[in-house]
Amino acid sequence: MKLSGFKWLFGRNSEFWPTNIKTGMWAWIGHRVTGLILVAYIFMHLSFLSQAMLGADKFDSLMEVTAQPLMVFLDFLLICAVIFHAMNGLRIILFDMGIGIRHQKVIFWISMAIAAVLVVAAFWAIWDLVFVPAEAV
Amino acid sequence: MAEHTIATSRVGGTWPWFLQRLTAVLLLVFITLHLFIAHFWHVGEEISVDSVSERLRDVAYIVVDLGMLVSVIFHALNGLRTVLFDFDMFVKRKKMLDIGLLVLGIATTVWGIVILLPFLEG
Repeated sequence: MKLSGFKWLFGRNSEFWPTNIKTGMWAWIGHRVTGLILVAYIFMHLSFLSQAMLGADKFDSLMEVTAQPLMVFLDFLLICAVIFHAMNGLRIILFDMGIGIRHQKVIFWISMAIAAVLVVAAFWAIWDLVFVPAEAV
Repeated sequence: MAEHTIATSRVGGTWPWFLQRLTAVLLLVFITLHLFIAHFWHVGEEISVDSVSERLRDVAYIVVDLGMLVSVIFHALNGLRTVLFDFDMFVKRKKMLDIGLLVLGIATTVWGIVILLPFLEG
């Protein structure tokens, strides 16, 4: 089957074309994507901590690896996912309580503004560990 | 199209829906605590079996850790269940999915408790 056969599904006029997706749908997609990332992370997190069962030296050397700048930066990306999921989650809980459903778009952007402030704070927190050479700290 | 407009809470049930909200609020508190303790109070501090053992001598840490473990596993697996239902997967095999997720959840919780033991002995 030709790729153009999927135009109705993914083309410019389809509901999946980025500019045709509305704010609430973006929030829904974001919540699902970050949720699945965090589920995968939890299992990774537990498997990393399991290293302690193989011996203290195994765990300690793994922790040294995770303290490297690249790993701390990945931690930052993880925190961004947590912040988005938490702020949009609060928005969902508000709607469940019957608050603000009619203003869901505005509330989305307010929650994203709070999320942006938290992301900046997280970026400030990792700055020394990622961008300043170890000998200078 | 009608079946796609059914609210997930109606497919998933009221209790899972309520517990997902309850664990969400708990996690908001736990994760904020977790991040502040791990990344602000002890920022740049070396993490080792010894330093974690030292912290875990405080019972409050163990209580928070266990509360977070149970909440996060429920929230993650029930979230996964919601996403599957969103895509009309397992809607007709709900019981099978529920048993599978329950077993996975209990196994993961036990795993999470067992991996704390080396730190408590250390």
